[in-house]
Amino acid sequence: MRRGAVVGLAPLLVAACGRLQGFGGEAPPLVSFEVVFQGDLAPLRPAGVSDEHALRVALVWGAQWLTEPFCVLPAESPEAAAVIDAGCRDPFGFVPAVVSVSVPIAVDVPATLTLSQLPAADVMVGDVTARVAYATLVVFDDRDDTGTLELSRPRRPPFEFESERGFQPGRPDSLDIIYGASFVTMTAPDQRVAYREGAFDTASAFYPRAGCDPPLPGFSVLAAGGFSAEAALAALLSGGLPPEDPATCAVSAPAETPIVIAARAPAEVQEVGCDERTDDSSIGYRRPVADLSDLASRVVACAHLPSFGTGGGSPASDLIQLVVSGRDSDRCKGLTHYTLRGCFEDVNCADPEWDYTANPPAWWPCGP
Amino acid sequence: MHKREVRVAFQRCFHHLPTVVAAVALTASAARARADDGRRPVDDDFPVQSKGALAVDAGLVLALPATWQTGLSSGIGAGVTRGGRFAWGVRGSWSSATESSLVWTVSQNDFRLRGVAALQQPAGRGVFALRLGLGPTFAYEHRTRNQGARAGLTGSDLETSALAVFPAVDLEGVITLHVLGRWSLVLSGGPTALIADGALRGGWTAQIGAGWQP
Repeated sequence: MRRGAVVGLAPLLVAACGRLQGFGGEAPPLVSFEVVFQGDLAPLRPAGVSDEHALRVALVWGAQWLTEPFCVLPAESPEAAAVIDAGCRDPFGFVPAVVSVSVPIAVDVPATLTLSQLPAADVMVGDVTARVAYATLVVFDDRDDTGTLELSRPRRPPFEFESERGFQPGRPDSLDIIYGASFVTMTAPDQRVAYREGAFDTASAFYPRAGCDPPLPGFSVLAAGGFSAEAALAALLSGGLPPEDPATCAVSAPAETPIVIAARAPAEVQEVGCDERTDDSSIGYRRPVADLSDLASRVVACAHLPSFGTGGGSPASDLIQLVVSGRDSDRCKGLTHYTLRGCFEDVNCADPEWDYTANPPAWWPCGP
Repeated sequence: MHKREVRVAFQRCFHHLPTVVAAVALTASAARARADDGRRPVDDDFPVQSKGALAVDAGLVLALPATWQTGLSSGIGAGVTRGGRFAWGVRGSWSSATESSLVWTVSQNDFRLRGVAALQQPAGRGVFALRLGLGPTFAYEHRTRNQGARAGLTGSDLETSALAVFPAVDLEGVITLHVLGRWSLVLSGGPTALIADGALRGGWTAQIGAGWQP
């Protein structure tokens, strides 16, 4: 009888040792990545920088972005080619959307980067049955001590009525210096973080890896060897995706593969810290200001409005645009387009909001 | 307000007083008249047959979760008591609550076992009682890491469970209204307290249900 009572009470005694935690306690990370940063930073430092203030590595989710037609169509003149070179970012480069967590890192010392939140829906591409997000790991010197990587944005020259249209002059460039990233461009070997929900659309053109295995459900680390820009353009013209060399592809669970980032000159990788105002290749044509004094510090060209010659869309315009790049000192590349006639939403609008074709500004270097 | 205005207000009020008194008197007399006119007392239409010392009840339980200071735990409870003016018995209940934070979704199941002693006072078809209960509360907790399944977490990274037991005391007011035959409506509720992690934690519990008394 006594033995039976003891046996019966044993589960109770064991249970009494349990500890309820409620909503407290440490939350298990959703995923952890091991990151190794390699290289010598001393020869890579920009002029005037003598040391690293606080080296960190940040996970940056990528944006879906299309370059504007002017940057990918053949340049109609050497001047236009110079503007493309000075003002167009790599059309196959990684474009950041959101900076997630960051942790301190040191050269050749593995660091663990953990996520406690999934990527939000706004960085995932696809529908709820098949969507994916990609991220790059960016090593940067946190010179403003904010603990995170601040993104920069192309800075535009002024245009008429910008304040009335709600445009802001733009935030100053980030002080952070980027020394490396695991995924800089699709035309070079990369290691990227993927987060996948549901199925995977192999025809998706969101940072495509055609020919490679799809990312694992949940988090994974992907690698690809990259494709050439020529191959990419040829594949796009044929309606396909540029293929990767399967031998360079890899898919692994986050715990299985460290992500290795090589130190590079900031000028080579700083575009991964440049976000974009628009992501659909749309262009806002601007009304010229009466006096544009800082053209000397920019590369400019007069060019026709770009057309793919498909016969669709708006009729080709006879307007000549002035395309202006950013300044050499700007962190991010960008273009500004001025026309003597047009509307903010449609340069070919029937009832233009401005028309200076009869009396262009004195500084206007192009024809009407 | 001036005295004159006050006086006018009182006069206006008392102006209708005779009408109100007359209406109440007429209503009362009409009610008496209807009773006298052959309406039988409710005890005749719904006779109470429960005379025994044993009482059983069961019903819906609502309570504050045992170890939380938020949320609403709902479930079922039952009990049996024996006695007259002083009664004793045992009770048990189960209730469950689920709440979320940014990181966790937590479900807590509370199993309450009580030995109870009650002081009862019959009043017409009803019984008022004050009931004191002592006993253990078993709390079974299940936690799920939010977003963990989508991220591919498994095992204890995704879910954890724990069971703990706490000494507890309840003090409830109980109203039993005999409805028909051996059946009654039972309402109870009051404060509770338990000792968890060396601290006294307050709460409350309530039950609505049916009783049966042979």
